[in-house]
Amino acid sequence: MLHNAIAIVSENWLLLLIGQYPNGPLGGIAATLILSVLGIVLAFPLSVLIALARISRWRLLRAPATALVYLVRGVPLLMIIFWVYFLFPLLLGANVPGFATMVCTLVIYEGAFLSEVVRAGIEALPRGQMDAARALGHSYPRAMRYVILPQALYNMLPAILSQFISTIKETTLGYVINVPELTFAANQINNRLLTKPFEVFLILALTYYAVCWSLTWVATWLERRIATRRAGPAPIGMMAARA
Amino acid sequence: MIQLQGVNKWFGDLQVLADINANVARGEVVVVCGPSGSGKSTLIRTVNRLEEIRSGTILVDGRNIHAKMPAAELNAMRSRIGFVFQSFNLFPHLSALDNIILSPHRVNGLGRAAARDRAMTLLERVGLANRAHSFPAQLSGGQQQRVAIARALAMEPPAMLFDEPTSALDPEMVGEVLAVIRGLAQEGMTMMCVTHEMSFAREVADQVWFMDAGRILETATPGAFFGAPQHPRAQRFLSDLRAR
Ligand SMILES: Nc1ncnc2c1ncn2[C@@H]1O[C@H](COP(=O)(O)OP(=O)(O)OP(=O)(O)O)[C@@H](O)[C@H]1O
Ligand SMILES: [Mg+2]
Repeated sequence: MLHNAIAIVSENWLLLLIGQYPNGPLGGIAATLILSVLGIVLAFPLSVLIALARISRWRLLRAPATALVYLVRGVPLLMIIFWVYFLFPLLLGANVPGFATMVCTLVIYEGAFLSEVVRAGIEALPRGQMDAARALGHSYPRAMRYVILPQALYNMLPAILSQFISTIKETTLGYVINVPELTFAANQINNRLLTKPFEVFLILALTYYAVCWSLTWVATWLERRIATRRAGPAPIGMMAARA
Repeated sequence: MIQLQGVNKWFGDLQVLADINANVARGEVVVVCGPSGSGKSTLIRTVNRLEEIRSGTILVDGRNIHAKMPAAELNAMRSRIGFVFQSFNLFPHLSALDNIILSPHRVNGLGRAAARDRAMTLLERVGLANRAHSFPAQLSGGQQQRVAIARALAMEPPAMLFDEPTSALDPEMVGEVLAVIRGLAQEGMTMMCVTHEMSFAREVADQVWFMDAGRILETATPGAFFGAPQHPRAQRFLSDLRAR
């Protein structure tokens, strides 16, 4: 069985890695990672805006942002994929490729989830930070930009990274709208071989596991580093490096 | 310089400031003291409008800081009143130097180089020029508080407010912070300082305000207040303080 799996990988590694590129669309792990990175990178600024709206004094900003977050968190990702898949072409009056559909979906979905992470990060800071900034004459937006957000986002880095890991796993759903990411590639192989589903999906699972596990490891390392940095006097070596 | 007229403030149905009327003249140093929960912090926080009030006026340099005004104007007024917190509240992601540079640079639009020069001068003045590049977490409490004072001074405020600037410090660090504040007093800075450091108050204050339950019960010179307090509550407060 292991023997079979190795044979499958050695025959199909290029398909698993980049799909049918350059003869077809980019796929495989490459597509999965690009989808995830695009999703999280575009979702991030959106999530900061949603978080700021959520804690705003103005109801006009707060209410719709809160509604959006609850709505998105309250429905399965697959529903959002279908909405975007069927609605966007209607609204735009043009064909939207599967890849773009999936990126839009991820941005909406991750934006809503990340905004809760960002909001928690802002609210976890001691109130004295905002007080000090305001007492020095900073406007609210400036206090946010120079004092609150840099700290909140730094503290939130591990949580943002673990959101990225979830995103990687969520891209598998792109399969249902024929986005040629890693799961799609694996399924192609399975359809071609017909007799070796166990091996094929074992390879698929191990690949996801390897990618996500290494990122989890990075997140844990980051978390520990941030904890030590926040804890107090840094060791002499670090002080010298920073001075 | 600072005039409080008929100030009332409530937190829900708790009245924390009751009919406060008092003045701080230019160049004067006022020490505010009183038991825990008497409203001292709330009082000085209202002077730069970190807290809103229900009624009354607070004139700073002749202008009511609690008047309706555009946010930009309030920010400008606030930047002219230095505030030093009990818990320092330095920005932990910035070095000591950058903590001081940030506001003159971003609020007053002072160029980075000029802001940096001013910050270095201030750090020298509080005796921390050699720690300019340290982060707050690498500084002792006393050092952090001195940086916080330098940060407030960087806005060149004509008045400074201190909320128990030394009560979060280990005893051996109290002196270094009080020395800086004493220096400001000698230069004629207008100051309101919440503190229970009696010897400091005797030496530096022009007036002592004694607060209890949201009221200023006694206003006196430090000599009179610490020598022969008039109000029975002040007498009890002082004897408790001395017994500690
Ligand atoms: N944000 C708030 N919401 C509700 N009540 C508050 C708030 N801040 C303070 N209080 C209450 O207002 C009263 C005055 O508080 P304040 O902090 O001004 O007292 P203080 O004299 O500074 O006391 P301490 O010596 O302990 O610092 C207290 O009863 C306190 O519980
Ligand atoms: Mg207090």
